[in-house]
Amino acid sequence: MAKVQVLNVAVLDNPSPFGNPFQFEITFECMEDLPEDLEWKIIYVGSAESEEYDQVLDSVLVGPVPAGRHMFVFQADAPNTGLIPESDAVGVTVVLITCTYRGQEFIRIGYYVNNEYTEPELRENPPIKPDYTQLQRNILASNPRVTRFHINWEGSAERMEDCENVDPTSNSKVPPSCLPGKAPPLGILPDNSMDCL
Amino acid sequence: VPQGSLRGSSGSPAQRKIIYFYCKPIFSVDIHPDGTKFATGGQGEDSGKVMIWNMAPVLREDDEKNENIPKMLCQMDNHLACVNCVRWSNNGLYLASGGDDKLVMVWKRAAFIGPSTVFGSSSKLANVEQWRCVTILRNHTGDVMDVAWSPHDVWLASCSVDNTIVIWNARKFPEMVTWLRGHTGLVKGLTWDPVGKYIASQADDHSLRVWRTVDWQMEANITKPFSECGGTTHVLRLSWSPDGQYLVSAHAMNNSGPTAQIVERDGWKTNMDFVGHRKAVTVVKFNPKIFKKKQKNGSAPKPGCPYCCCAVGSKDRSLSVWLTSLKRPLVVIHDLFDKSIMDISWTLTGLGMLVCSMDGTVAYLDFSLDELGDPLNEEEKNSIHQNIYGKSLAITSTEAQLSTTIIENPEMLKYQQERQNSAQANLGPGSAGPESSAPKLNSVMNGESLEDIRKNLLKKQVETRTADGRRRITPLCIAQLDTGDFSPALFNSAPILPSGSSMSNQLTPQLSSDSSPGQASSLGLRPSHDPMLTSPPPNSTAKGLKTSLLLTSASKIEPMKALDSRFTERSKATPGVTAAISSIAGLTRPKDSISALKDIKTKDDTSSDSEDKMASINKNLSFSKRKPETLMDGGEVVEKRKKGRPRKDKMAAPIVSMEPAVFLEVENEVSLVAGSKLSQLRCSRDGRDWNTLLPSSVVTAAGSSDVVAVACQDRMLSVFSSCGRRLLPAIQLPTPVSALHCTAHFVMALTAGATLSVWDVQKQKALVKNESLLTILSGADTTVSQSLLTQQGVPVIGLSNGKSYCFSSSLETWTLIADKGDSLVQCADFRSCLPTQDALVSPGPLAVMQGRNLNAGRLASRLSSTPHHLQQSMTMAFLENQLASALTLQSAQEYRYWLLIYARFLVNEGSEYRLRELCKELLGPVHKSAATAWEPTTLGLRKRELLREVLPVIVENLRFQRLFTEYQDQLELLRNK
Repeated sequence: MAKVQVLNVAVLDNPSPFGNPFQFEITFECMEDLPEDLEWKIIYVGSAESEEYDQVLDSVLVGPVPAGRHMFVFQADAPNTGLIPESDAVGVTVVLITCTYRGQEFIRIGYYVNNEYTEPELRENPPIKPDYTQLQRNILASNPRVTRFHINWEGSAERMEDCENVDPTSNSKVPPSCLPGKAPPLGILPDNSMDCL
Repeated sequence: VPQGSLRGSSGSPAQRKIIYFYCKPIFSVDIHPDGTKFATGGQGEDSGKVMIWNMAPVLREDDEKNENIPKMLCQMDNHLACVNCVRWSNNGLYLASGGDDKLVMVWKRAAFIGPSTVFGSSSKLANVEQWRCVTILRNHTGDVMDVAWSPHDVWLASCSVDNTIVIWNARKFPEMVTWLRGHTGLVKGLTWDPVGKYIASQADDHSLRVWRTVDWQMEANITKPFSECGGTTHVLRLSWSPDGQYLVSAHAMNNSGPTAQIVERDGWKTNMDFVGHRKAVTVVKFNPKIFKKKQKNGSAPKPGCPYCCCAVGSKDRSLSVWLTSLKRPLVVIHDLFDKSIMDISWTLTGLGMLVCSMDGTVAYLDFSLDELGDPLNEEEKNSIHQNIYGKSLAITSTEAQLSTTIIENPEMLKYQQERQNSAQANLGPGSAGPESSAPKLNSVMNGESLEDIRKNLLKKQVETRTADGRRRITPLCIAQLDTGDFSPALFNSAPILPSGSSMSNQLTPQLSSDSSPGQASSLGLRPSHDPMLTSPPPNSTAKGLKTSLLLTSASKIEPMKALDSRFTERSKATPGVTAAISSIAGLTRPKDSISALKDIKTKDDTSSDSEDKMASINKNLSFSKRKPETLMDGGEVVEKRKKGRPRKDKMAAPIVSMEPAVFLEVENEVSLVAGSKLSQLRCSRDGRDWNTLLPSSVVTAAGSSDVVAVACQDRMLSVFSSCGRRLLPAIQLPTPVSALHCTAHFVMALTAGATLSVWDVQKQKALVKNESLLTILSGADTTVSQSLLTQQGVPVIGLSNGKSYCFSSSLETWTLIADKGDSLVQCADFRSCLPTQDALVSPGPLAVMQGRNLNAGRLASRLSSTPHHLQQSMTMAFLENQLASALTLQSAQEYRYWLLIYARFLVNEGSEYRLRELCKELLGPVHKSAATAWEPTTLGLRKRELLREVLPVIVENLRFQRLFTEYQDQLELLRNK
């Protein structure tokens, strides 16, 4: 079973101007002392159309992690606007928080993000070239989508066993070794974690 | 989505209700011992699933309809694959689950603030209770099919398709006790003998095996009823009857029909079975209660034989309930489910039952007393167990009930909590019970509230860069985990209290009273009365003294650990103190006595520079002057001494009282005055010397810090103060003295004519007047082997036949205080009542006389196979003897020590009448009246203070909480007066 359970993620500074950094206060619990650090990433999905617009906003190592309940704030800069397709700047997109241990992703938390102009005038007539300074980012904090993956928490010895035991339905869709930036779009996440908007 | 909805209706004769789960199979169900919740295990969406449910909506329709009452309490998805078995520990603190992922997980309720929902869970069903996996037991190489907690939760057993059974140490997870290997097929069911002697397992290899818990070897392999068994069932849950007499198997065959085989404990005979199911029996579960026939109103009470009740579930989807007193089933329910029955669990009351099925439902059945009979209460059940097995489960089972018994009195609650806290404090860091985890949370956060922390977390958190330039955040630990706290204390089985600290408290007053010089009382070398000491040849006395003394102190007296630190510090500074204390209290550490003896030796060396001076101890001389008929051992030595008798006898007996050592030196025939020889007695103490002259040769001398006594050849006994002042006129003894003792202001003389006298010098009174020893010296060869005088002036005589007597001046008779051949001592078993394992015997004259004998007795009891009730009576008698002995010896500390053991024994064994009488005696009359002869103190101990010490012992058995409350209240009342 997973040694690390995410208990809560609080979205700080929300809603906020588009250019503000993302801040997530993450509370997690660890069953036993972890010999290695956890790696957390924030991934901004630039466009629902294609993974190639995904941006890894930042990645941090978190450690040392003794058994117990811990919290930290993960802050990452706003996405590079130059990498976002202009047509996707305004509207609903997704931000993902992932955590990996020993290179294996074991949890993925997704939030819907709504970017919109605050000025009624701009809302009515959005400029063709998005004005990021006027955009407000609103993360739908109340509705996180959590997907958990079974990974091998021990050394390599148990890798085989774990693979045998993992229900293929959950694993075939999302291999444990998710590469950064290759995060699957929300649409094909296992359905036990997703509702329709 | 799991939703508790009930399909309710009444069937006959039992009522039934069905809870719908989702459609995944449910493999296991178990009702919590307190009856308020139950656990299920089975298949989840993509994992195994353990769920904990509220019992109330199942039991009552109103609760079911009340939306404020949660139906599901918690769900755990941690098992990677299907959960085959869930079982609550007997104390209800833990839940064990085993699954196809080869793992056994042990769950515990998390006490501190937890999330109310699983983060991000799509179903917004809140987890009302938080259950956390506290340990994962990995050892099986195949699916775990069944788990079972042993009686009293000492072990947890799990069995697997890897053909093995693993026994885990339930007090020290994840420690493994052993493997039980022998099955050649998938092991699919386990059951513990309710008495704890065996565990039985059933496997696909057509065998049922019984294993002994004493050596974990196989006791029996039963194959015959299973040889015909074809096909397989998912589980083979067998069950042991609550009286331990019968073991009932799952799937067995008889004449090609499926049965549940009854195996008798006596010889593992297989003559009977439960017949009638059309398909294989998957699960058998005995009702935890033993029943007796319900008395009908008006009919004459018939002494009915107690019987058991057993539920049998089968692949044929039907359930049958049997009473062992009936030949036919009590009830058979067909078509209860759409698929095979997988597990059955009875409520602890014995009147309700949950049954689960592969079809994803659980049914609840409840029975009436009319249907099943009157359940025996725990005491009656225990007495059945005692009658059959001679082993009482009363002690531990009452402890197991502690959690469910309501504590009625706030004082009682306080005691219980203190007890738990002290138990937890003993566990050291890293372990915390549910109660202590909340403060722990605070301590981690240094008193800051979580809100404060969160405000500044971003600024405060430590962020560094790794060598390759990556950000690294050190998370803030906001709570430590309460994992791994599988301590015996939590399982309520090991006797705790009073701890070692109270032992040292008990010692301290005694030691400190000794260390105040004015009160210091005893003659230093008390062990010198041991016959061993009479043997050293004259010129090596100092050395001999040293070795033999060492021997005495090391072998006779248990080294004590619980010494006050002041004492140890002091002993380094002034070795004399140690020696004094060692002899007074009858306890020492060998090391300490070495240092003390070195001191003595050096003094001896200086004083015995002249070759004919002989340093010796007093008794050697006393033998030399004694009449031929030997009262004491060591006569041979004396004879030798006579032959080579030195012209001048000189004797130095160091009276090691407090600081500094006191030396007595006697020189006989020191000068001739007018034809008569004078002897000189010299005493030196702290540089202050005094001496006095005596008209006759001194035979023996003895001293304490208060008095010095010498007996002369002319049978005169003289007593001097510590400064040399004569305190008593010369006392004429009837016969020559044989042994002389001084303790405090008491002087005891044992004469060769077998008479004993004790004087109180302070009061100038005789306590014992020429009392003859002939009453106790029955038998031809009996001699006195040991004699001593206690601090309270009670003379004690040890005889060569192993008996020890003291003369009680109040009763004016000899009383027996110790008998090494006493069978009570051999068989008394009060190990469980001892305050600590270290402090085996309380120091004092009783301990000195009984010595190691007590330990031998305890060992013997472990080996002997005395029936429990007999042993219980013997132990009771022994403890009462000890109390009486301590009382006549006027040894207050020992009285208190044995009183507390006695009280704990009464509490453990549930002897209410004796306990009540004891409390009553200690409390005395609440209202003063002239007529009462009640003494408020005994041996200088205030009885009500003793009662105050006894009450916390009583608390340990909640059965006596009324008694506790009663006396607690009266004590309070008296205090306020």
